[in-house]
Amino acid sequence: MATTAEGFDIHHGDGHHAHDHADHKPGFFARWFMSTNHKDIGTMYLIFAIIAGIVGGAISGIMRVELAEPGIQYLQWWAQFMGGGNDLNTALHMWNVFITAHGLIMVFFMVMPAMIGGFGNWFVPLMIGAPDMAFPRMNNVSFWLTVAGFFSLLFSLFVPGGTGPGAGTGWTVYAPLSTKGSVGPAVDFAIFSLHLAGAGSILGATNFITTIFNMRAPGMTLHKMPLFVWSVLVTAFLLLLALPVLAAAITMLLTDRNFGTTFFDPAGGGDPVLYQHLFWFFGHPEVYIMILPGFGMISQIVATFSRKPVFGYLGMAYAMVLIGVVGFIVWAHHMYTVGLDVNTKMYFTAATMVIAVPTGVKIFSWIATMWGGSLSFKSPMVWSLGFIFLFTVGGVTGVVLANGGIDDNLHDTYYVVAHFHYVLSMGAVFSMFAGFYYWFPKMSGRMHSELLSHIHFWTFFVGVNVIFFPQHFLGMQGMPRRYPDYAEAYHFWHQISTYGYYIMAGSMIFFFVNILYSLLAGKKAEANPWGEGATTLEWTLPSPPPYHQFETLPVITDANDYHDHRPATA
Amino acid sequence: MAGKVNHDYHILEPDIWPLVGSFSALTFTSGLVMYMHPDFFGNAAGFVMYAGLAGLIATFFMWFKNIVIEAQRGDHTPVVQLHMRYGMILFIASEVMFFVGWFWSFFDFALFPAPLTYDEATGLTTSLFGQESVAAVTFVPEGMQVLDPFSLPLLNTLILLCSGTTVTWAHHALIHGDREGLKQGLWATIALGVLFSAIQAYEYAGAPFGFGGNTYSSAFYMATGFHGFHVIVGTIFLAVCLYRAYLGHFTPRQHFGFEAAAWYWHFVDVVWLFLFVAVYVWGGWGAELH
Amino acid sequence: MGQRHTRMKKAILAAVAAGLAAFAPLSVVAQDAAPVAAPATTAAEAGRVEGAQTAPGPEALPGNLTPAEASAAPAGEGLYSPMAPTKGKGMPTAYEDDAIKSLTFQDQYSANGEYALWMHDAILLPVITIISLLVLGLLLYVAVRFNRRANPVASRTTHNTLIEVVWTIVPVIILVIIAVPSITLLARQYEPAPADAVTIKATGYQWYWGYSYPDHGDFEVVSNMLDEAEALKRGEPHQLAVDNRMVVPAGVPLRIQTTASDVIHAFAVPSLWFKMDAVPGRLNERMLTIKEPGVYYGQCSELCGARHAYMPIVVEALPPAQFAAWVRAQGGEMPGAGDAPAAPTAAPVEAGPSTGAAAAPETQPAT
Ligand code: HEA
Ligand code: HEA
Ligand code: CUA
Ligand SMILES: [Cu+2]
Repeated sequence: MATTAEGFDIHHGDGHHAHDHADHKPGFFARWFMSTNHKDIGTMYLIFAIIAGIVGGAISGIMRVELAEPGIQYLQWWAQFMGGGNDLNTALHMWNVFITAHGLIMVFFMVMPAMIGGFGNWFVPLMIGAPDMAFPRMNNVSFWLTVAGFFSLLFSLFVPGGTGPGAGTGWTVYAPLSTKGSVGPAVDFAIFSLHLAGAGSILGATNFITTIFNMRAPGMTLHKMPLFVWSVLVTAFLLLLALPVLAAAITMLLTDRNFGTTFFDPAGGGDPVLYQHLFWFFGHPEVYIMILPGFGMISQIVATFSRKPVFGYLGMAYAMVLIGVVGFIVWAHHMYTVGLDVNTKMYFTAATMVIAVPTGVKIFSWIATMWGGSLSFKSPMVWSLGFIFLFTVGGVTGVVLANGGIDDNLHDTYYVVAHFHYVLSMGAVFSMFAGFYYWFPKMSGRMHSELLSHIHFWTFFVGVNVIFFPQHFLGMQGMPRRYPDYAEAYHFWHQISTYGYYIMAGSMIFFFVNILYSLLAGKKAEANPWGEGATTLEWTLPSPPPYHQFETLPVITDANDYHDHRPATA
Repeated sequence: MAGKVNHDYHILEPDIWPLVGSFSALTFTSGLVMYMHPDFFGNAAGFVMYAGLAGLIATFFMWFKNIVIEAQRGDHTPVVQLHMRYGMILFIASEVMFFVGWFWSFFDFALFPAPLTYDEATGLTTSLFGQESVAAVTFVPEGMQVLDPFSLPLLNTLILLCSGTTVTWAHHALIHGDREGLKQGLWATIALGVLFSAIQAYEYAGAPFGFGGNTYSSAFYMATGFHGFHVIVGTIFLAVCLYRAYLGHFTPRQHFGFEAAAWYWHFVDVVWLFLFVAVYVWGGWGAELH
Repeated sequence: MGQRHTRMKKAILAAVAAGLAAFAPLSVVAQDAAPVAAPATTAAEAGRVEGAQTAPGPEALPGNLTPAEASAAPAGEGLYSPMAPTKGKGMPTAYEDDAIKSLTFQDQYSANGEYALWMHDAILLPVITIISLLVLGLLLYVAVRFNRRANPVASRTTHNTLIEVVWTIVPVIILVIIAVPSITLLARQYEPAPADAVTIKATGYQWYWGYSYPDHGDFEVVSNMLDEAEALKRGEPHQLAVDNRMVVPAGVPLRIQTTASDVIHAFAVPSLWFKMDAVPGRLNERMLTIKEPGVYYGQCSELCGARHAYMPIVVEALPPAQFAAWVRAQGGEMPGAGDAPAAPTAAPVEAGPSTGAAAAPETQPAT
């Protein structure tokens, strides 16, 4: 789909005789600690996200192992390991710390940095034919603020936060548990972690929007822009408008905690539910922030490996816009049980379900893109197929939850956990792996092993389904979230779920081995290893691209417009 | 940057300040946490906090200094200036959303007030939740005095409105190549900004209610306080422009640094109008005046 | 092209894997399952330890509850003894006990719950299953039909207005079909309680529940989780059983109110399709009618700190006459039944007499 460079002169100078200049790289320290290069920053984001993914994934492993049996198995040990006391309350607090850290790390330090910081940085400029981002220096501060935020979260683990070390508030940081209910500095560190990472993301959002609006190559109109760029554009707007509200909300937490304000303290007339409104006004757009770039990547990949332009390009682009817009007016579906009045609940039920329509447009358009195509099942494509199916499964359970009256039973149960892991740990993560395998040759200049990546896919697919599908059963049976201990009746499915984790963990070995293998011994990647289906501008550059690309801007002509609005031709 | 580059974008050299700034921010926030928990961290907080703050200030200083140098050097081609316009507009949009958060809580409290009583002697608020027969519930707790909106706040409104015109005066002077007018307009704007902050500080000092304790004072101080912080930032921004005006920077055609400051100033102005109407006038309506 | 035969294989593998993911667990038999909810002890045994009251407070660990303490409680009128639970009713079902039941919602014992369950089982579940399978089917179909070998030359079709309209309109229709019962359900759930409904106010504390009965003299029952040994001894599922239950009349409208004293908790009982947050500074209210007597287990459903998992809820619905007896045993009074000045003094039942050595047989359905 989208815009190609083939068919016009692309100034091959970039890769060849320009070596002297375009590939001039600064020394090690300057290159990696002072970077103003979107590709290097993108690489750092990806490495950071992988590290965070390992940490967050390891924490989920601790959680799954604990949950394999009823009763408290290992939390006591962890409590002591983290420097807490030996009593039961500290052990139980550790649970809350783990889920909080897991949720925050996965959301703010794994998915967001990988998708927006990593792939967005790498490929938005390449795809629109720009030499770099609009604000290269600010780009770097976005990255380092994310790292700083991660550190702040790590600090929180080692200081008191209630009945033990660490912040045990859940990733939603609900007041008053996070205010009066958590004495000690841990929650403050966690709050500042969000401030720092959030500031980085806001700056990143302004950077992406400016870049996309102003730095498209001559001839690339908005309606010729690759869908991945569209997805990042919409995502950036969501970030820009949602994160500041979170910043205000967590600042209120901070002053309630430390300076005697009563925003969420009923003793002074404050309202705990207000915090939830503010949080979810951010939080719901946030979940689309985590999936829209994935949508964009899937669009590129499906088109590439179908050798066919994306079906219904405009519909695909505006579906994302609509998802973004509607995403701002559905937030209270996370709050169905707080005591909303009936009209509010009816409104949010209806509004939430509306999002299924543009999302359906995307699902069906991907399938229609493949329809009539000439499909090859390279690793990015199998991950994309997995994405489409599993995201649908997660999406439709979202529609179940959207019904306020039904959610009365499912809210805060494992059904919700199953729902959001289907859209996140499968949706978002599958799209990340798809994007990773799609662009790895471009980024590294090396081909990865298709065999290993296929094994990775199948084992991961089985693993995560075994983890999370049974959680629907648990949720419907009433198993509440955020419980380290449970009634005997829930034992079986929890145990299965934990087995799934082992499969998944084993599967990740193939991922890491694959990276190592290809970096060390991988075949050299051509400029375009994926063939004629890969039509976006990054494939016109060598792999890896020169340090500074497009020093002469490419020109996009009508001949390259693969999603014109004329009726289909053979 | 060689002659090979055939585009007008700004490709920057590596720079240390993003790294320094980020970790200064981390140091600063960590210092704040330490400051908030002396029981746990002892009194090491001050050092950490101020070190972080110093790093942040140094970063801002160096960062903007570099931008100015680059601007003077001619790196800011028209397209780069356009980027900056976008960047500034988007930044202000995010600031608007930040204030949406504060107004949201203000209106939540004002429209759905909780029953409270206020003891003037102690300044303490007590919740009447759960008690039978709570009479008419007001947002400003029964017994609490608020500031008279039509005294100093009105004056401050006029000051800010006035400063909006003086900054426009400066802008027009700049566009017409009248450097003296630019300086005068900026001097006036800065003076008004400082005056505003001074009056605000004076008003805080004499306010009949303390910080926090109930929803009215929480929302009042945090919303007006963040606004005040923005006024100070805006004033510094304008002062930098004034300094640059003396250095002979800005041309009638290229002066985005000034324009950004002016936009920011107008944004701060508009926020104040909302604060004045909503918080001071409407929010305290019917309550006893100080 | 090395792609040749792998494509078919992949298609098959996809189907197998999907099946595997969904059903593999079912084929895993013989788990080392500890006996679930050991058979109920005799009524006498159960009665003997009744009446335990721990002092509420953060230090009230479930383990603190010893029979010794329990027997120290003063004996009451002896008209009430806790109903033994019925396995599979009002509680989750283990896979080992009933594989199918363990996959879905608990049976419902309120009218709204039945309606909601119907809506889920008859509308939502089929719809989402069909949509998921449709998408899976289409994916498998294109994978087989349009792979590079089967279709070497790709078409360039990028538009088909009709199909695009269809896949926009059809979901809209489906959603409208869902919305109708959904809105109905909400309307029913929000029907206001009649004036004579029995009011019970559930207050969440870190980490236990207090149930007060404003219509009956405003006494408060404090409810702590039983530790595992004690629960099993009483024939109740551990982690769900409590010392003092929230006793209510069956078949009559209840006005459930929730609030909390410290942080947010949530009062939730899955088999009644009931969940309402207990928010400090707020009083939430919802009507609930329990169809028949029984013991209905629930758990705190909002993260409330360390012992969030250890503050279960047990609703015991009794025939109204026995409920009245229970109220009197608590030192409360039935509304309109004389004006014994009961409650105010009996307020929090710190050491309330909720004991009964003699079990009323009809409240002890055999298990
Ligand atoms: C990537 C992240 C992501 C995405 C994309 C979604 C997508 C959706 N989510 Fe989800 N959600 C989360 C992440 C996400 N969610 C998280 C993290 C939580 C928990 C937060 C917490 O409490 O910690 C949550 C919780 C959550 C709740 C609150 C549950 C509760 O706490 O009680 C609800 C309720 O409405 C909900 C609904 C939806 C809906 C309707 C969608 C829709 O966008 C889905 C739309 C997609 C489809 C429907 C499938 C494809 C469509 C078709 C094939 C067309 C035909 C379909 C129909 C006609 C139905 N989500
Ligand atoms: C993106 C978000 C994300 C992801 C990927 C995951 C992944 C996993 N989660 Fe998580 N989870 C959350 C977000 C996520 N989770 C949130 C928000 C909560 C709620 C917290 C709360 O209640 O407050 C939660 C809660 C939660 C619970 C409930 C805890 C409770 O309520 O008590 C459980 C229990 O099993 C669980 C398990 C798992 C497991 C086993 C995985 C496994 O899938 C993990 C396997 C690891 C990976 C899949 C990561 C691999 C990725 C990389 C290594 C990076 C690769 C990078 C590139 C390609 C660039 N999670
Ligand atoms: Cu109380 Cu969770
Ligand atoms: Cu949502």
